[in-house]
Amino acid sequence: MDIRTPIGQAVFLVSISCIIGFGSNLVKGDAIPWIAPELEIADSIIPETESNDPVLLAISLNQAKNLFDDGILFVDARDDGYYTAGHIQGALKNAFLMELIFSIEAIQEKNVPLVVYCGDPGCGDSEDLAYDLQDSGFNKLYVFKGGWLEWSKAEYPSETDE
Amino acid sequence: MTRHFKVQLVFFFRLIVGIIFIYASIDKITHPAAFATAIGNYHAVPFGLENMMAMVLPWLELLVGVCLIAGIMVDGAAIMCIVMNIVFIFAISQALARGISIECGCFSVSTETGDNIGLETILRDIAYLVMSFVILYRNEKRLEFFPKPV
Repeated sequence: MDIRTPIGQAVFLVSISCIIGFGSNLVKGDAIPWIAPELEIADSIIPETESNDPVLLAISLNQAKNLFDDGILFVDARDDGYYTAGHIQGALKNAFLMELIFSIEAIQEKNVPLVVYCGDPGCGDSEDLAYDLQDSGFNKLYVFKGGWLEWSKAEYPSETDE
Repeated sequence: MTRHFKVQLVFFFRLIVGIIFIYASIDKITHPAAFATAIGNYHAVPFGLENMMAMVLPWLELLVGVCLIAGIMVDGAAIMCIVMNIVFIFAISQALARGISIECGCFSVSTETGDNIGLETILRDIAYLVMSFVILYRNEKRLEFFPKPV
């Protein structure tokens, strides 16, 4: 590799970045795994409120409906416009994280199960919000991966803000 | 356009792109897990490789920024700027085309302070891309220390 040539320099910069990036991750206290773990899918759901064991699992449409029927709180992780156009009945609107946390805490404790969803199985907002809520102390989190797309297709209870 | 003005313009672009890349790298280097999540939200990186990208990309941004400002390996740094901006534009465009509403993860990886992606994010990256091309195809190599201009 000749670092006097532009391509050689580019390869050199990438190589140095790999060495520093991987090396610093090895020695740092808050190291992240090399490969991102997939969110585990829940086999069965026991919405226990007694245990403080943390839960962060993905759930299916049927499991989401069962939790809905049990009166579990849902949080919509999508933007305002999408929420206004249609959302799962009774779901809380996404807001600034602190505002959302206050809204949830006004309704229930942090160890009570909570379902987070977004637009469709391809969106990442629900998972993102679930991790933020987990960092804020909520420890019974379920991510409904199918989101609004699957829920509305199934014609399960929903409402609009219009 | 005078020769002197062209030299000054290239140096100005080097400073602008360099400062932006350094600024963009800081929050990502300090919060690798949040940056990995931000990359993952684009759903454009396969096999869970977003974590490896989150380890390397911020350091590459930092190195490229420093090289552009310090006048070290400017050609290589400009090439990497072009490559990174093309990747960013592609990632944002495919997310917008799929209707995904996500944080950009461009400068801040915090969900509370980060900007959402949009057309303006793409236009901003196109501006950086144009500046990077101007730097790469400059006629005169002034204020550059390695490799020594011939």
